[in-house]
Amino acid sequence: MNGRFGVRAGLVAAVAVTLAGLVTGCGGGGAASGPTTIRFVWWGNEDRAKVTKAAVELFMKDNPDITVQTEYAAYDAYFQKLSTQVAGGASPDLVQLDRATLGEYQHRHVLEDLSSFVGKTIDVTGIAPALLAGGQIEGKQFAVPGGQTTQMLAYDPAVFTKAGVEPPSGPGKSWTWAQFGESLRKVAATGVAGTTDFGWAIDWFEVWLHQHGKQLYTGDGKLGFTAADLTEFWTLTGDLRAAKGVTAPEVTTKMDGSMPNSGLVTKRAGSEINYDSSLSAYLSSYGPGIKAAPLPTDGQASGMAAMPPVTFAVAQRSAHKDAAAKLLSFLVNNPEAGKLLGVARGLPPNTAIREQVCGAAQAATKAVCDYEKSVADRIGPATGLWPTGSAAVKRDFQRVYDDVIFGRTSVADGAARVVQTAQQSLGS
Amino acid sequence: MTQAVLDRPVARERAVPRRRRAGRGTGYLFLSPWLIGVLVLTIGPMIASLYLSFTDYDLFDAPRWVGLDNYATMFTRDDRFWHAAGVTARYVGLSVPLKLGLALAVAMLLNRARRGAGLYRSAFYAPSLLGASVSLALVWRAMFSTGGTADRVLAAFGLDTGGWVDQPQFALLAVIALAVWQFGAPMVIFLAGLKQIPKELYEAAELDGAGALRRFRSVTLPMLSPVLLFNLVLETIHAFQSFTGAFVVSSGRGGPSDSTLLYTLYLYQRGFTDFRMGFASAMAWVLLVVIGVLTALLFRGSRRWVFYAGEGR
Repeated sequence: MNGRFGVRAGLVAAVAVTLAGLVTGCGGGGAASGPTTIRFVWWGNEDRAKVTKAAVELFMKDNPDITVQTEYAAYDAYFQKLSTQVAGGASPDLVQLDRATLGEYQHRHVLEDLSSFVGKTIDVTGIAPALLAGGQIEGKQFAVPGGQTTQMLAYDPAVFTKAGVEPPSGPGKSWTWAQFGESLRKVAATGVAGTTDFGWAIDWFEVWLHQHGKQLYTGDGKLGFTAADLTEFWTLTGDLRAAKGVTAPEVTTKMDGSMPNSGLVTKRAGSEINYDSSLSAYLSSYGPGIKAAPLPTDGQASGMAAMPPVTFAVAQRSAHKDAAAKLLSFLVNNPEAGKLLGVARGLPPNTAIREQVCGAAQAATKAVCDYEKSVADRIGPATGLWPTGSAAVKRDFQRVYDDVIFGRTSVADGAARVVQTAQQSLGS
Repeated sequence: MTQAVLDRPVARERAVPRRRRAGRGTGYLFLSPWLIGVLVLTIGPMIASLYLSFTDYDLFDAPRWVGLDNYATMFTRDDRFWHAAGVTARYVGLSVPLKLGLALAVAMLLNRARRGAGLYRSAFYAPSLLGASVSLALVWRAMFSTGGTADRVLAAFGLDTGGWVDQPQFALLAVIALAVWQFGAPMVIFLAGLKQIPKELYEAAELDGAGALRRFRSVTLPMLSPVLLFNLVLETIHAFQSFTGAFVVSSGRGGPSDSTLLYTLYLYQRGFTDFRMGFASAMAWVLLVVIGVLTALLFRGSRRWVFYAGEGR
């Protein structure tokens, strides 16, 4: 009995761990005529889901022969699900990607080259060329921007006023890193951290690099910074952490871009650096008071850039690419859809719709439009796409920072480790 | 493939009378749901994963043969692999003894209870029914996060630890606590084992002047040892395969600071986040071998301490 049990248990063990390897390879197929059903997936919060579903409803009304199924999840869960579905032959037709993942998925032949659709099913004439480039890889259009965003500091004015600090707002207003740090310390004196520790995301390090005339990745997909650069940046956040100007490790470690885990939303910090495409989410999750300020800078360059917060792409294994492309174009170019979507993915990518939306702007939409307008003359052109491997670099960056803030490694060692693993990730 | 398996025994045993042969076929027919399940859902994927473990496979493009590269990388160049193995060792080493100890203690209490025994048994078993669910792990995360229930209760006793799941030194303990709390299954098995121990043995021991502790050591433990071995093997294997708790509590990241990065969680990350399914398959096979070896060692070691009644020892 014992022997049999051992084999049996081993078998059970094997099932559990090897089920992951069960991969069925069916997909593809030609375009079908008549009624079609496509699947459109994205990540984001409830607000984004609500308006996106409304826009999809409108699309289905205009195209009665196309049924669109929608799915959404938080960022991490979304990508776990997406990779499993694509590998399992159940790929969605229209997917939402970002800078870190577009290159990754294109490189692995998951995405359809949209060049043959552009000018026919997909209209891109309304999108500024610099923004449109955010969906191009080696000159080919693999994705279309779903919006335009730039970096911001979302803050609660009440918290800052209580500390006697007023962050800059309005055209031409800015602050230096020293002023910023001083403000955070003053806020900290009132009992709440000034801002969420911004050392966690490689995105904010990128802004800092731009301010110093450097970049995250070179044009040919290599690492554009050194361990010394990162050491300097993490020393900056480390000094602030010591003064409680930024959040404690147990708050910072939870950061994943989602609202429930945000240091600002959970009231552990008075402000938070993020993309302004999230401003409407802050306004609904935290309260109507949230305002946006530019990131601090010591020089002329703000370091901030205009870029697509998300792009839409059609899956290569989709059986209904035409229908998916049609929906894509509708989301980007249809004025009614634009009105519904508002600034759920940052400013509308289509310039004409952007003017229309911002012209009639209220509440959250107005906040994003106003902020973008106030920094319009300072934000650089869309920065290039992140290369393949950048998704892993981004994850490693945050993981190593966890070790740094919990005191498990020194800033210098951590920075060296990030550079070393990043070179491996980019090389593969 | 199914057909071949079905045919073989029939062909070999020609001497069997016709009626019995037909009966055999019917038997296999009734077995077929299980047989097909084993072949399609177990053996097939296992062979596929063994093949994939020798390839570079990113889930989307065709696998590329790389020989033993995945295994070599794993053992020599992957710090996180060893880290994950260490976390898993700590997890298994702590959760299994704690869980079995608690299960045995509760089983002995319940063995004594007369009134309402059924109710208590169900109440203690309930967590095991709920425990494997994702929703419960979510509740666990909320309970052990900063400002959560556990944090506030501990703070009330002057233990201001903060949220366990947000700190690297405590996060794994929260995951272990979740596992230990689901002691229902071994508890029920212990209880059944305790009921099997003849009352005369205790009476005889008592007449000889044995105290409660002595009775436990000299009667209960030896008589229960086969059941103990069964539970030990089963729970050790379970613990090695544990995934849901750590996955949900750390939002799939194994954090904070990789402190809850169980082996299975790292395997999952490698396969589905880093798109290294070949590497993940290799990890799965290493885990299978490790579990197999440990199980064999447990059985081998058991000869020293497991007592089977009727063995004449």
